[in-house]
Parts: sequence; C-alpha cells; structure tokens
Amino acid sequence: MSTVIKVEGLSVSFATPRGELKAVRDVSIELQEGESLGVVGESGSGKTVLSRSIMGLLPSTATRTGKITFQGEVISELPKDKVRDLWGTGMAMVFQDPMTALNPVRRIGDQLTESLTVRLGMSKKDAKVRAIELLERVRIPDPKSMMRKFPYQLSGGMRQRIMIAIAVSCKPEMLFADEPTTALDVTVQAQVLELISELRKEFNMAMILVTHDLGVVAGHTDKIAVMYAGDVVEYAPTRELFSNMKMPYTEALLKSIPRLETPTGTRLPVIEGRLPDPTKNEPGCPFANRCAYVTDKCRAEKPPLTDGGNGHFYRCWFPIGGAK
Amino acid sequence: MTTTTVTTVPTTKSARKRPIGFYIASTWLGLMVFLAVFGPFLPLPTWNEAQFEFLGAGPFSAPGHLLGTTNDGYDMLSGLVNGARISIFVSVVSVTIGGLIGGVIGISSAYYRGKFDSVVQMVFNIMLSIPNLVLSLALISSFAADTDEQTATVARRMTVLIFSLTIVIVPIVGRIARGSALQWSNREFVLASKSMGTPNLVIIRKHILPNVAPAMLAIAFLAVGSVIIVEGSLALLGVGIPGGASWGSMLATGRNYLEFSPHEVYMPALAIAFTVISTNYFGDYVRNHLDKRESKI
Repeated sequence: MSTVIKVEGLSVSFATPRGELKAVRDVSIELQEGESLGVVGESGSGKTVLSRSIMGLLPSTATRTGKITFQGEVISELPKDKVRDLWGTGMAMVFQDPMTALNPVRRIGDQLTESLTVRLGMSKKDAKVRAIELLERVRIPDPKSMMRKFPYQLSGGMRQRIMIAIAVSCKPEMLFADEPTTALDVTVQAQVLELISELRKEFNMAMILVTHDLGVVAGHTDKIAVMYAGDVVEYAPTRELFSNMKMPYTEALLKSIPRLETPTGTRLPVIEGRLPDPTKNEPGCPFANRCAYVTDKCRAEKPPLTDGGNGHFYRCWFPIGGAK
Repeated sequence: MTTTTVTTVPTTKSARKRPIGFYIASTWLGLMVFLAVFGPFLPLPTWNEAQFEFLGAGPFSAPGHLLGTTNDGYDMLSGLVNGARISIFVSVVSVTIGGLIGGVIGISSAYYRGKFDSVVQMVFNIMLSIPNLVLSLALISSFAADTDEQTATVARRMTVLIFSLTIVIVPIVGRIARGSALQWSNREFVLASKSMGTPNLVIIRKHILPNVAPAMLAIAFLAVGSVIIVEGSLALLGVGIPGGASWGSMLATGRNYLEFSPHEVYMPALAIAFTVISTNYFGDYVRNHLDKRESKI
C-alpha cells in the first residue's frame, strides 16, 4: 500500500471586509491507497473548504498554506495549470447538489463524454460506448436513451449517479465526495452511498467523504476526522472512534442524531449556542462556550492535538474516559 | 351504447399558442429578407434608372410602377426593394461582426475576471458614453467624405458605415454577454466541469456560451432595429450611402419633394418603422421564449 495523499499543516483563510477569516487551521491527514476518510462537522466548520483546498479548487480570495503531497509529488507548490492536469484523472469530486452541478442546457451524454474526449483523448464513438458502460455501472436503467436526456428530466438520485459516473470516468486515484447525499431524498441516500463505496473498492480509490452526519460515515469509512471551527478536534479509525469517543463535541454530535429506540415525544438533544466568529482569534478551546464539561482552563488555553494511542488523536484538556 | 370519453391532453407544442404579433413580425421580416436576397431577380424596373414619362407619379397611378415613381422618375417599389437589400445587409453584417466581437470579449472578461475584466468594463463604458450618431458621423466624415480630390464611392462609404456601426454594437452586446456570463460562470456545473480538468476554452464553449446565447440573440435583434435607425439618421444628415440606395437615403432625397410626392417620404419611413418594430418584437419574443428550460425545473 502506498500513500496517495498526505496533507501537512494545511491552513486556509479568506480575506473578508471584517478581517481574515480562518476556515481551516493547521490540519494534517494522510490517506493510503483505497482508504477512505470521513470528515464530519456542522455547517461552517470548514469541511467543504478542507476538501476543496486539498484539490486546489478554491476561489482566488483564499490563501492556503501547508504542504500537500499527492502520490509522492508536492502539489501545493505547483502552478495552477499543472494542478489542473491532475483534476479528473488524478483526483475528482462529487458535488453536494446534483441539481446545480449539471448544465441544464446540455444532454447527459454530452456532459458524460466531455471529460472522456477532452481529458483521455478518446474518439467520440469510443467515448459514447464507455459512457453507456459507466451509466450501466452506476445502475441507470436504459442507459442508451439516458444519453439523450436533459438534466431536468431526471430525479435527484439519478442526477447524483450521473455526477458519480462523471467523477469516476477518468479513473481517479482520489475521490472527494462533498456531502453527496445531503440534497437527496432519504430513501435514495443509502443507495448512493453504497454505490460510491462499491466504486471506491472497484477502482481502488482513496476517498474523502464530507458530511455532517456521523451515521453516514460510520459504515463507509476507515477513518474519521471531526472538524469544529476549522480545527480537526478528533481524528481516529472509525471503529476506535465509535467505541472510545474522547471529544465532548463528537459525543454531542452523536447524541443529536434521532434514534428509533427513543420514545415518541422525547426532545432531540441539540448543541446549544453557535460556532465562534471565525474572523476573531479568541483564546481557549473554540468549543468551550457550548461544552457540557467546560472548565476555566478550557476558556483560557486552547488544547493541542493529543495522541491518545491506537491512531486516536483528540483536541481536549479533559477527554471523555480520561487521558491515557 | 357506451360512450367513450376521450380527454385530449394538449401536447406542449400545440398548446403553446403564439400571439398574432409573432406571425405579423415574422412575415414582415421574412418578406424583407426575401426581398433583400432575391430583389435583383424580380421583374422590376431598374431602381436607379429614371423613367422620364412618369415623374412623381403616386402609388397605383402609373402602369408598370406599382408604388409610383419618385419626383426624379425612379421606380418606388424597386427603390424600396433595393433599400431593403442595403439596409438589411448593413445592419446584419455590423450586428453579426459586432455581436461576435462583443460576445467573445464580454464572455471571456466575465469568465477570467481580474484586471482584464476591469479594463474591458472601462473601455465598454467609455464607448457607451459616446453618442453613436456622433461617432459614426466623425468616422465617416474623416474616412469617407466627399472632398475636392475624391468622391466617396458606395463601397467605401458602406465599409466605413459598417465599421462605425460595428463599433457601436460591440459594447452593447458585450455588456449583455458579460452580465449573463458572469452569472453562469459562478454556477456549480462550471466548477464541476473544471474539477474534471476541462480546459477553460472548452468550458466557455460548451457550458457558458449555450446559456448566454439566448440573451445575446435577443439583444442582437434589438440591435438590428437600432442600426437601421442610425443608418437612416446618418443618411438624413447627408453621410449615408450615396445615390439614394438605402431606405434612409431615399428619405433624405424625398424630403426635398415632400409637397409634390409625399409617398416618396412615407413609404421608406413606413418600411423602416415596420422593420424596426418587427425586430424589436422578435427580440422580446426570443428573450421570453428561448430561455425556458431552467424555469421548468
């Protein structure tokens, strides 16, 4: 197994009228071939920015620092057009909303064959054959007639399958899935996730799955990074994380998922309060104001990322179950 | 006896009834384009050959001259047909060239943004701040004027006229294209295509252009109308195409004989008015009806 991607000390900030907005702070992750990482956090915690910044898909207002190594090559220092050569064939992304990620005025076939002809240099005829195979692979019924349809004729789940087919069309080594099921109906979410996992295994892709749903990542990832206010606050293998949760924030996130066994009428626990202002640099743990176990130390000093053994890292002074 | 009730479900095509104005406008424009293309092959008197037996004959009064003759003995109908040829040629050519240049500049400045975009916007604003009649007048009088040494030929006048009208069209279409492309460039499907490594030019051609085209087409129709008017105004000012060739030039000649043969003025004036109203109507129609697919979702 070889390392596909290695991110060291990645920080991303945006210049805004209210000052510098720190969206991602000093994040380090590493993924092996075929391995998958779930990035979990609430809205505004920086998970989308993290995945887009690794790929290099950020708007020009963003500044990125840190080192990103993709298949042994440092890509964080490469000029834009060199990075662009990696997109599609090296790394690809499945976007959150399939309603807006397909061009409304072009046929599915044209959009699907675009990267095949442009990036892989296939002939139109070969690309069409390959596109039909891909549609079959993502379980689209009647792929031949699908090629001639427009996006508005399809349901959300079908469009997301097509987005997935486009993303894997050039056989990338690395797939970013940015909340691929958020915009979909609950009944098709499971199918789409299952499909992504299958394709990941088939093409031996490394994957970063961004979501706000801990339940989603549980069955489809090898590792989990929990993000809060731009920081990775807990980073552990999936099994280890669920069996030995250290971070109060992760615990609160898990508690706020509705469960079948709770009696009807029970109020769903919520995490009170809001994320801290990302343009301000306040001392202390960013979660302090919302934490159930907060102490004076938490408000005064920001905890470092601590190694808890078993590949388990957490950012807390008083982890659940005590320090090692 | 059983009666079968047949409920007719109107298909989208037959259910969509077009307004009467659409048919009138398209018939008129179709007729003008037909005359412009096939005018020389129609059995009409030569437009620039005077018939001295009929001077200033009114419509339907002289045999062989359906719409009468001018005060100088030229046939009105063939003059109008030739005018359609010139007016439509001048406006279509200048709008096509201007639209292409404006479209390319507008779309690329919206897509690439940055300094290039600021410069383009500044240039467009400067160009738009010059009244187009003044600009055309200045260009024609400096490059295709009648002087003592030379008389401006029809070809030379026409070239300079088309050139100056093109300059007028570029920022008009350019700004519309930029505004529309700006909105489409920020859409997620552009980012999605980019994330597959598609080159910028392919993205512009395949993803942005098809979405911007309806807006550009609509403004192009409106522009054809205004170019015909500008050309007419220039002719009235005495710098049009010489020899009474275009509708505007016919007006300019005819106003000298307003009291003897008023049809010499109102006929080209009506031709201009109908054509401009039709292109405007068509432009509105295109804008309302071509950009529908997304609103259906």
